Amino acid sequence: MRWLVFAFQNTLRNRRRSLVTVAIAALGTAAILLAGGFAIYTYRALAQSAARSTGHLIVGLPEQFTKDEDTPLQYGLDDSAQLSARLQADPDVRHVLPRVAFSGLVSNGDKSTVMLATGVDPDHEFAVKGPFLSMLAGEVLTSNAAQAEVMLGEGLGKSLKAEPGSGLTLLASTTDGALNALDVVVEGVFSTGVPEIDKRLLYTDIVTAQRLLNTKRVSTLGVFLRSMEATTGAQQRVAGANPNLTVQTWTDQAFFYRSVRDLYNRIFGALGLIIGVIVVFVVANAMAMAIVERTREIGTLRALGTLPSQLLRSCALEGLVLGGVGALAGALIALGVSVLLDVVPVQMPPPPGSTRGYPLSIVVDPAMFALTVLAMVFVSMLASGWIARRTVHLPIVEALAHT
Amino acid sequence: MNGENVVELRAVFKTYRLGKHTVQALQGIDLAVKRGEVVALTGPSGSGKSTLLNLCGLIDTADAGDILLDGKSVAGLDETGRTLLRRDALGFVFQSFNLVPVMTVAENVDYPLFIAGVPAIERRERVAAQLIAVGLEEHARHRPDALSGGQRQRVAIARALVKRPRLVIADEPTASLDSHTADQVVAIMQERCHAEGAAFVIATHDARLTPRCDRVLSLLDGRLQ
Repeated sequence: MRWLVFAFQNTLRNRRRSLVTVAIAALGTAAILLAGGFAIYTYRALAQSAARSTGHLIVGLPEQFTKDEDTPLQYGLDDSAQLSARLQADPDVRHVLPRVAFSGLVSNGDKSTVMLATGVDPDHEFAVKGPFLSMLAGEVLTSNAAQAEVMLGEGLGKSLKAEPGSGLTLLASTTDGALNALDVVVEGVFSTGVPEIDKRLLYTDIVTAQRLLNTKRVSTLGVFLRSMEATTGAQQRVAGANPNLTVQTWTDQAFFYRSVRDLYNRIFGALGLIIGVIVVFVVANAMAMAIVERTREIGTLRALGTLPSQLLRSCALEGLVLGGVGALAGALIALGVSVLLDVVPVQMPPPPGSTRGYPLSIVVDPAMFALTVLAMVFVSMLASGWIARRTVHLPIVEALAHT
Repeated sequence: MNGENVVELRAVFKTYRLGKHTVQALQGIDLAVKRGEVVALTGPSGSGKSTLLNLCGLIDTADAGDILLDGKSVAGLDETGRTLLRRDALGFVFQSFNLVPVMTVAENVDYPLFIAGVPAIERRERVAAQLIAVGLEEHARHRPDALSGGQRQRVAIARALVKRPRLVIADEPTASLDSHTADQVVAIMQERCHAEGAAFVIATHDARLTPRCDRVLSLLDGRLQ
């Protein structure tokens, strides 16, 4: 404790220099935590978006994930209701939603365009999507509709000049290769925020999709869990109980999520490294000046019987004080900015390929905060000790003669 | 020489290199200082006084000869051994006081006890006693920059004596003081020396100091006269 007090007293010798050092350490820490908090927010948002889109687990025949189908639902599941009931028995499973993925044409009578369609369970599908699907007009699908209904992506609706209540015709190949057509009514228009997807995407209820394709099969079952953390355990249980099926997790299908995470990890990792190096240099520079000024005093303390290792510890503790105070101040700054952004929201511009901006948010992750502060303290101590090592081993006579 | 000798030098030589030149700082010094003895080293600048003090204080090493502290040779000690011996057995008083400016008077005096691992309660008692002995108990919480030169040197003396050393090395302890203050400091050193039973080796140019010493040795060109 006495060494720590001595180290603290030493940092007060040149207050301006110490203040600048602490300020740079604080800004560096805050920058790392803000960038890291933003990255974590982005990861979580993308993870939620991906999991709510596909389900935390995707269950299907192995060929569904490895081969292209020659005819629609060639590798679909036959006994989906029975399988769904079995999956639903797992304590971590909240919903099991069937999906029928198909493509074809959609026509308004005058114009036909390509659609990428998904047949879904309307009662639960749109509930689990939450804020990741925004309705621009009309309503979401319902299971007890009097006639076949569809929801169109914004771009597809514009292309077909369709709005809620408009009549359209869906054309697709059936599972036995014949062409089938079905009249539907537009129930709503939505946006995923990605124009390229909204130009082609169409939702219909699963019964309509199966009628159009003339099948009882579904492509896959999307399993929605009670929490993201339950994914790995649930995957192992479901895969173990169904060895003839493949069980993928949402990360297996979330290419965009993985790409963004890889990119951000590299960008923010490099940023953190650069900031860390800057902080090390600033602390080392401050300590170098302080130690040169105190060479004679170090000689005196050595003459009085202080071991070089004790002086090294004292200098490292000075680094701890400078780096620690700076890191804690930086953590407080980051915390303040995070709270401020919750109180006064700031909207980020839409990312490339998207039409929707998103709120700028900084996640306060206790583990990241603790790790960053500890890392700052550690590198500051290391830099201080490294700088001091030569002076504390200087011959005492030489140190005492230093002017 | 006998077991009463605190420090003993036997045929000690020391040379320095100054650029291309070699300076013979000490040439075959034989010296013994007894317990409780105050020895003054005098001589002109460059005569080897500081070098001799440095060797007695174990902050420098001899090129030849032997140095004994309490009858034991220090020649075989490594740097850590010498540091620990300084910590336990030696005190230092410097010309320019060399107090730690960020520590209070009490903390400066306490420092040698702290690094020696003396328990806090005992440290407090010994520091208080030393400060009373040098008349600075009122200034215990002051920092050195709030004290006069004489007061600072008294703090340095208290710091040197607080661990009850067997030998105190004092390099020009009155050189930075006016004559009145120097008299006070010398009186305190003499009184504390006798009270604590420590030997003093003092390098000085100050003629007022030598009459108070038990023995005065004169150095010239690295040799005792």
